[in-house]
Amino acid sequence: MLGLDQFIAELNKSISMFLPETALVIAFLVALLLDLMFKKSKNLTGYTALIGFLVTGYFLFKQMNMQSTAFSNMFVIDQFGIFMKWVILLSSIGVVLISFFTNELYEKAKGVGEYFTLIIGMAFGMFLLVGSSNLIIIYLAIETMSLSSYVLAGYTKEVKRASEASLKYVIFGAVSSGIMIYGISILFGLTGSLNLFEINRFLAANPVNNFALFLSVIMILSGFGYKISAVPFHFWTPDVYEGAPVPITAYLSVASKAAGFAILLRFFKVTFLDSVPGNDSVWTLLGSIDWHFVIAILAVLSMTLGNLVALWQTNVKRILAYSSIAHAGYMLMAVSTMDDAGVASVLIYFFMYMVMNLGAFYVVALIANNIGSEEIDDYNGLGYRAPILGICMTLFLISLTGLPPTAGFIGKLYVFSAVVKAGYIWLAVVGVINSVISLFYYVKIFRNMYLNDVDSNKSKLTYSPASIVLLFVFAIPTLYLGIFFNDIVKWASYSANIFMGK
Amino acid sequence: MQGSIGFPILTWITFLPILGMLIVWLIPSGKDEETKKRSNMLIRWTSVGITFIQLILAVIIFLNYNNGMTGVNQQSGFQFIEKFTWIKASLPLIGNIHIEYFMGIDGISAPMVLLTAIICFVAVFPSFGIEKAVKGYFAMYLLLDTGMMGVFNSLDFFLFYVFWELMLLPMYFLIGIWGGPRKEYAAIKFFIYTLVGSVFMLLVMIGLYLSVGSFNMLDMMNPANFASDSIFGGFNTSIRYVAFIALFIGFAIKVPSVPFHTWLPDAHVEAPTPISVILAGVLLKMGTYGMLRIAFPIFPDAVGYFQGLIAWIGMISIVYGAFCALGQFKIGKRDLKKLIAYSSVSHMGYVMLGMASMRPEGIVGAIFQMFNHGIITAMLFMIVGVLYDRAHTRGLDEFGGMANKMPVYTGIMTIAFFAAIGLPGMSGFISEAMVFLGAFNTYPMLTMVSGLGIILGAAYMLWALQKVFFGQIPERWQGPWDPTGKKYKHDDINGRELTALIPLAVIVIFLGIMPNPIIDMMSASVNHFVEFMRPFVKIGGHLSGM
Amino acid sequence: MQESVPLNYYLILSAIFFVMGAVGVLTRRNAIIIFMSIEMMLNAVNLTFVSFSSYNSDPAGQMFVFFVMAVAAAEAAIGLAIVLALYRNQQTVYVDKVNLMKW
Repeated sequence: MLGLDQFIAELNKSISMFLPETALVIAFLVALLLDLMFKKSKNLTGYTALIGFLVTGYFLFKQMNMQSTAFSNMFVIDQFGIFMKWVILLSSIGVVLISFFTNELYEKAKGVGEYFTLIIGMAFGMFLLVGSSNLIIIYLAIETMSLSSYVLAGYTKEVKRASEASLKYVIFGAVSSGIMIYGISILFGLTGSLNLFEINRFLAANPVNNFALFLSVIMILSGFGYKISAVPFHFWTPDVYEGAPVPITAYLSVASKAAGFAILLRFFKVTFLDSVPGNDSVWTLLGSIDWHFVIAILAVLSMTLGNLVALWQTNVKRILAYSSIAHAGYMLMAVSTMDDAGVASVLIYFFMYMVMNLGAFYVVALIANNIGSEEIDDYNGLGYRAPILGICMTLFLISLTGLPPTAGFIGKLYVFSAVVKAGYIWLAVVGVINSVISLFYYVKIFRNMYLNDVDSNKSKLTYSPASIVLLFVFAIPTLYLGIFFNDIVKWASYSANIFMGK
Repeated sequence: MQGSIGFPILTWITFLPILGMLIVWLIPSGKDEETKKRSNMLIRWTSVGITFIQLILAVIIFLNYNNGMTGVNQQSGFQFIEKFTWIKASLPLIGNIHIEYFMGIDGISAPMVLLTAIICFVAVFPSFGIEKAVKGYFAMYLLLDTGMMGVFNSLDFFLFYVFWELMLLPMYFLIGIWGGPRKEYAAIKFFIYTLVGSVFMLLVMIGLYLSVGSFNMLDMMNPANFASDSIFGGFNTSIRYVAFIALFIGFAIKVPSVPFHTWLPDAHVEAPTPISVILAGVLLKMGTYGMLRIAFPIFPDAVGYFQGLIAWIGMISIVYGAFCALGQFKIGKRDLKKLIAYSSVSHMGYVMLGMASMRPEGIVGAIFQMFNHGIITAMLFMIVGVLYDRAHTRGLDEFGGMANKMPVYTGIMTIAFFAAIGLPGMSGFISEAMVFLGAFNTYPMLTMVSGLGIILGAAYMLWALQKVFFGQIPERWQGPWDPTGKKYKHDDINGRELTALIPLAVIVIFLGIMPNPIIDMMSASVNHFVEFMRPFVKIGGHLSGM
Repeated sequence: MQESVPLNYYLILSAIFFVMGAVGVLTRRNAIIIFMSIEMMLNAVNLTFVSFSSYNSDPAGQMFVFFVMAVAAAEAAIGLAIVLALYRNQQTVYVDKVNLMKW
């Protein structure tokens, strides 16, 4: 046991490493208070959130090269986590900005004060999840982000679909987190610890019942799979994405997924990696269960089902929801390789996915502001009524398909090369076939925008110059990262380093 | 000094259209009818200007081209080289990455660059007829131009792939927005077919990269660069065969060879005239070019293994395409444009056959055939476009006696049709003769069967000529095309259309009499190519070099 | 000294509870009862934790239980609020009546 002095020293050190998260908590509290005090002001909490995120970004930047644990091995700071936290932070900023331009939020809900407050809360949950190395913290972090997101999904109370989405979300969420902690309890019983590092040490030293281990990990996977919306834990995704306000849909599809992937990767690497001295980039897994194959199956299911079902959808948000399931599949494909090249490619993919997906949802929001609909048939001729939106949407969609020279192509390139490198050529073939299938429904969107209703005499869409500036904030990186991806690849490769507690 | 001119000419020729696209973009579209008209004219003439400068650059390349240099797999043999590091990072965890901006041309690509510049220039003129969303049309047109030019210039696989995919989207929109009644179907079919081919190409590219450690095509052609334990290391492994097949299919879809050709008739029939011209004139060549540039030299062992199959595919394409074209005379489906589309399948079959021969004359013939077919089919499609613009139909049996109504037009058309048949004195004859000469040495039986294609070709072309131009003028075409005289003052072909057609006709006849300027460009490279492939492939007859 | 109840009994009991809860979630249509079933699942988990904790004599498991209880309370609060919002919108708490969106 630690002595008191040591304990205080450890605490001091931990708090100094916990500054980004602390900044988020303070921003959360400030936003809560400001919202109580200035009920009238429209976006005050939104600006608070932005400032809070910027401060968090500052502390995160100062941590750039740190690798350590805090709070007696409960929390880890490493390059991998920091990359994911940047993805989460940037998408949080993006989502707050998108929210400013989403009329639905201001028209269909009673004030947006709590809205931005809850976004900060959700961001805090994700930050915690990315760095957690203890099953208690994992559970608490998942619940922190989930509880905020349940409310956010149904935030536009006057929209019938929103409350329906919210209900479905909370039921599926509660069930899957229930299953997850049941798995955690079994893992706890098997190994006698809740700390991932200790579980790893225990598994390395002692044989355990394979079936029980498999069962518990599958159950835990249901919790993570729910967050990343991988098949078969995806049932909530389309409904929630369709019903929730657009910025929240975007947030769930990027940040929430990033946090889920972060913990999935960390959990697998930290728990099941057999430490091979000198060769860290190839993971040797403990036990006799073929986790590669289990994850690969999840990947194939997610890709195929997501893409095939998306073909029949008529609502753009729903199409993007199924596409996000499919994208989870592509990333799981890289996870299934279980090596550092796979981790790096997931990171690269996430960064690209963040930019293009936020952009696509933002266009959906801007269009909904004008025409009040997300149905694909209402998109007819929009390419001529709103040329800039049309061009940017096309760019985002071809990027989601994975065609060069866009960011999405670089993501796919790295994912496929990680998979080919690990020798799973069959998986890569399934992946590329899927990206051809995905073309069908992405094309459907810009086909309606450009090929239908060409000579429409309907009025042009209106949008403020500021909203176009924000659009370019997403569109330019989508193109730029497709051509000059040197730095992002370097950073991701440097960040593929998951701290192993030694 | 020949072979380079101290000016990044390949970059300019490739990216000039993108510059043009931006200019077109910035031209304000007018508010009322009058200013709208003016801005449309400005956009059109900007495109003419841009493509004309591109053509001049291509001519400069042609004049400065050093015929003696080889290329293919030696960097020193390439000309107008531009090589910069684009992406370079050494990454301990996921392996190094090195992508170059590497452009250069040799005898295989130089004729194609020239062809692309010519076709893109002449196809602007029929584009003047486009009235719908003019700005978008020319923006897409110029983007397509960049994509095609880039494919022929790049020597880095990654760069190649980027350009290869870059054309897809503009092509989709050009067919989909400005096409005929079934444009959506044709556009998506084109898109999907090409994408299926190219995603497998992507996997092969990744595999090659992991084996070689570079995206440089020339590095990939050197077996010594393959790590022995890598995916594509060694020779004659089944994975190499599979990879070759994947690449081959990716390119064959573009060619298109039977059985991957079904997108072509749809795309051609639905596409607007200038896009048909580009499609037939340049896009199809990218398939065969890709084989010569990438698939064959990187997997020479697999070429040796599948050589017979490639020749068979060539032969089947020739005969099958010709029969399909003849099928257009069946009652109920008589479409002149479809006839020409199928004749393209047939003519690209000669290219495949010539390449499969692996003899210098066969391959020179194949490349020359690519060039000639580009020019001739461009003419044919433009000619059909001229008629379609006036009559709004392409039905073969709806016409007759046009020779009386449009004498000049008939003259041009006769040149194009005779060139397509392969009449001596026209460029098509020389290339087809060379292909047969080469192929006969290696695959005598197949070549003899392929000869059937020439006879059938003559049959359907002459038949079509006779149907449209001779005999009685049908009742409905007796009067002038345009009684108001607003759009067409005379019944015959107009000046703008002649501007596009006459240079092509001149090229066809000139190269029919004097093929040397083009053939000399490629012979050194092709000889080197054959030398390089020789240890792996079957070469019939006695090889003496050219 | 009395013979203590073997660990397996606890585990089997909690597994039965868990499955009952899960079946309840799947079959019941009333949102309130679904939430009750979810509570049951969570309590089954708590039982497992407590029994493992006492079996391993490691207090961490019991600590986990407290967190689960707290989170369950929060989840119920949010869940019921959402049910309320839904009721105002659609005048029903039956999940099979809530079907604006289907795949």
